[in-house]
Amino acid sequence: MEKIKELILTTVPEAVIEQKQKLTVTVTYDKLHLLAKTLKENAALPFDTLVFLIGMDRGEELGVNYLLSPSSDLSKEIVLKTGTTDRENPLLYSVTDLFETAHYNEREVFALFGIRFINNPDMRKFFLNGDWVGYPFRKDYDTNPELNPLSIESKDIIDIAPRIMEVDGKLVEEEVNIFGEDDYIINIGPQHPATHGVMHFRTSLDGEIVKKIDIHSGYIHRGIEKLSEALTYPQILHFTDRLDYLSANINRHGLCMCVEKATEIEVPERAQYIRTIMDELNRMDSHLLAWACQTNDLGATTAFIYGMREREIILDIFEKTCGGRLIINQNVIGGVMFDIYADFQKDVKAFIIYMRDKLKEYDRFFSHNVIALGRMIGIGNLSKEDTISYAVTGPAGRGSGWSCDIRKHIPYALYDKVDFKEVIRTEGDSYARYLNRLDEIEQSLHIIEQLIDNIPEGDICAKTKAIIRLPEGEFYSRVEACRGEFGVFIESRGDKFPYRLKFRSPSMALVSAMPLICKNEKLSDFIGIGGSMDYVIPDIDR
Amino acid sequence: MILNYSQPLEITNLTSWLDTTLRSSMSEFWVLLIEFVLVGVVLLAAYAVIALILIYAERKITAFFQARYGPNRVGKWGLLQSVADMIKILLKEIIKINRSDRFLFFAAPVFMIVASMLTFGAIPFGKGLNAIDFNIGVLYVTAVSSLGIIGVLLAGWSSNNKYSMIGAMRSGAQFVSYELSAGFALMTIVVLAGTMQFSTMIEGQRYCWNLFNGHISSMIAFIIYLISGHAETNRGPFDLPEAESELTAGYHTEYSGLQFGFYYLAEYLNMFIIASIATTVFLGGYMPIQVHGWDAFNGIMAMIPTYVWFFGKTAVLIFLSLWVRWSFPRLRIDQLLNLEWKYLLPINLVNIVLMVILVLTGLTLTDLFPGLF
Amino acid sequence: MSSVLKYFSGLFTGIRSLLTGMGETWKELWTKKVTQQYPENRDTLVISDRFRCELTMPHDENNEHACTACGICQINCPNGTIVVTPKMIETEDGKQKKILDTHKWDLGMCTFCNLCVITCPSNALKFENTFENAVFNREKLKQQLNHEGSKMREKKKEPVAPKVEEKETPNA
Ligand code: SF4
Ligand code: SF4
Repeated sequence: MEKIKELILTTVPEAVIEQKQKLTVTVTYDKLHLLAKTLKENAALPFDTLVFLIGMDRGEELGVNYLLSPSSDLSKEIVLKTGTTDRENPLLYSVTDLFETAHYNEREVFALFGIRFINNPDMRKFFLNGDWVGYPFRKDYDTNPELNPLSIESKDIIDIAPRIMEVDGKLVEEEVNIFGEDDYIINIGPQHPATHGVMHFRTSLDGEIVKKIDIHSGYIHRGIEKLSEALTYPQILHFTDRLDYLSANINRHGLCMCVEKATEIEVPERAQYIRTIMDELNRMDSHLLAWACQTNDLGATTAFIYGMREREIILDIFEKTCGGRLIINQNVIGGVMFDIYADFQKDVKAFIIYMRDKLKEYDRFFSHNVIALGRMIGIGNLSKEDTISYAVTGPAGRGSGWSCDIRKHIPYALYDKVDFKEVIRTEGDSYARYLNRLDEIEQSLHIIEQLIDNIPEGDICAKTKAIIRLPEGEFYSRVEACRGEFGVFIESRGDKFPYRLKFRSPSMALVSAMPLICKNEKLSDFIGIGGSMDYVIPDIDR
Repeated sequence: MILNYSQPLEITNLTSWLDTTLRSSMSEFWVLLIEFVLVGVVLLAAYAVIALILIYAERKITAFFQARYGPNRVGKWGLLQSVADMIKILLKEIIKINRSDRFLFFAAPVFMIVASMLTFGAIPFGKGLNAIDFNIGVLYVTAVSSLGIIGVLLAGWSSNNKYSMIGAMRSGAQFVSYELSAGFALMTIVVLAGTMQFSTMIEGQRYCWNLFNGHISSMIAFIIYLISGHAETNRGPFDLPEAESELTAGYHTEYSGLQFGFYYLAEYLNMFIIASIATTVFLGGYMPIQVHGWDAFNGIMAMIPTYVWFFGKTAVLIFLSLWVRWSFPRLRIDQLLNLEWKYLLPINLVNIVLMVILVLTGLTLTDLFPGLF
Repeated sequence: MSSVLKYFSGLFTGIRSLLTGMGETWKELWTKKVTQQYPENRDTLVISDRFRCELTMPHDENNEHACTACGICQINCPNGTIVVTPKMIETEDGKQKKILDTHKWDLGMCTFCNLCVITCPSNALKFENTFENAVFNREKLKQQLNHEGSKMREKKKEPVAPKVEEKETPNA
């Protein structure tokens, strides 16, 4: 890391380097792109993954935090910070040309903070309509409902994107058409059986072939991050289950970890065991649903029902442990809310045996079916470079040969104590993603097997203060959720509420890669690829 | 004669009795008129009833494949479920779509249902139980059943909906391709049976079904016919025109109420029609299982009415079709066309030649073992 | 020649995979069905004790509950589902005392996060697994948790006093 510091200082001598929770570098807005580029192209340790892109309203200043990691070693992290004091017309430079994943994130920042990014090829608001008044995540946002009245009129969708480009050192505002004049555009979504939620893909077709996809999201955006700014940390916890509701427990684990790290709370051993086991159960639950939905997207309804049937057993175990099935509210700051019940071990062990058997059945039933193979092999190819650039993590990222399992790179809970394989395939097609999920179920079973008999006695929750205040600072935590890396960022000003809270949602990255991998595929395959990427909409529309 | 003692349950007894009674009291014209109307009404009723039974059966069987119980709330074992559904569909509003082509929009479901009814009428349900017995029965059935596609295409075109349009286009490509295979497969058997008339064909299968008579060649034709027939009915894994997860409901996205009901009925009826043609052509139709020389056995078998035989065999084929439908994922359009043009059609063409050779060189089972069959 | 071989091997492996798939569904045809026959199975239905359906305030046989009307649950609830209304009474020895008047909870708003239960210093709240809560009117979802005429259970020991008094409501 010393070398990196040197490199930063030689590139941008006036950069301010601080050692906070992460190595943090503050630069002026015109130097950021240069610095990011240098870090990315640093041959010894290229910082080529953009993990977080966080819009910030720092009071005076509007800015962005970037968390970069090398794709080969996610445990190394650098935070870049920049900002502008121009609140009327804030402009920053885009890093979309370096990290594709920045594209949608920058659009999100524009919608929520009003920062526009120079050189981002499409500077429409993401999540919000173009005519929304005000920037909701700014601290001085006017919440008066009359400014943005609820409309029941349907609005035409405008397929024209404004943008600001830098041409020969001058800024030029221009507008581009997303689609051509004669494109045959169909709206897949917002209400569509295969978008797995309220997602809207404007798709231009040439016969059956997908030419271009334009993503509209935000139909169920709830502004959870903003809501959290008025809630105490224990209260915020209940939102995490409602992001990606299929990895509810893991998301919650992520936030708890972030707070625990910041306040230096020691989580009891027993709680760690329970957390890990529950996380893995949650992962299987999610992968089963993903498997089921993918088969259903491919038209195999029967397989869908089988997947749901097996998932039901996990949900029953959840219900018995924590009284919830989907929104399970298990983790709390310092440990877990509910201890395991008497027959927990017995139930889980029975499930392991049952599930192994069912995995074999899935294999015979679907994994080698000639029709299914034809619909998955070589479809929706995502190369490793693109995977990293789009920051596609989880089973999908690992299907393209990128080792991106946070459980291996930055072990948390008990993941450094158990033995498990990171499932990696290099094909990068739908089938690789499909198989990865099934193999990860097997790995999860393996992890649980090692833990289930050794749960130590003891407390399930550390003693915490009645009111949890985080010390001043910026705190990050990253966990491996079912769809990829889930991240939590908290900026605290020493209060019992966060000053800014940001969730990095894995699904956003998955969806942002859809236009790339669906291009020139058939319409049917677009649906199938969507199933293989397995995004969850509430995770995107936080 | 009211009762024919050897086959007491045959409906033919009833029909011929009716015919004689009518004729004894009326002129030829009136007799024919009354009989036509009666036949029409009975066919319509049968059409509806069979569709309802099929819908119920499919839902139940599907459920059992999927570890569920299926309908079990309306009536005992949910037996009245499809009746309730039918009533619901009749009561539903028929939604008028803005900027759709009204006339075609309304005409489309009618095409669909008429085509399947025309085919339905020509099927021999039992001995003497067919409305008409053409000497070109097979040709007729192939011809009219393909009219249904017009309904699908019109629906897609007139709905003013892009999903419907894509569904209809897919359907067009699919139907044209698979019609070819289905036709060839039937022709293979026509070569073997030497007739296109259903009654003669069935009579010819008294001791040996066409399926066995032409052994290899017949079997291949049978399988191809089942596959392409299945594809023609637009049912999974060939349900691309509907493709629920892709096109919401494909060509009938915009239909509601009774019009949707028409498509729904026609879909099930087409499934039945395909199965019954396969039964008639390959499995001896309504002919009971008979073994040459075993007169006692034959007598007992003949006691079971012919329509029971027919429906029994058809039911087996329908079950097969459901089994396939609920086991496989949907094909993609290019896979679908590949299957037809790269596999089914060439195999079919070779098969037809093979059948001609078999028949000409006397290698069919009846020729090889004349004593047995 | 190899392409011909590929053609046929493709055909046959394809058919084999399809038949294996059909074999699996055939097996499933005879397996036990998993559908729950609700409401017929109401008597045998086991709902886990911990299942969170309805917030209750357990009352004992004397119609007494444990709530001190401290309002901590109300402060901790993330979305203002709970409204605690205390009232002041005069005890026999002439002192003013705060007791519970109404404790209102809105099922329609609750996110079942369980915070109220775990933060209540006197363990006065509990989630029950009574899950049949459908009503025809939203108003009916608003419930009053303390029973009519109930009063606070007098303990030998004073219930643990809340450590920190919270002044502001977090949602304001
Ligand atoms: S926290 Fe407990 S004691 Fe306090 S008001 Fe709520 S229910 Fe009553
Ligand atoms: S469970 Fe949560 S949301 Fe519901 S009343 Fe209690 S604190 Fe409020």
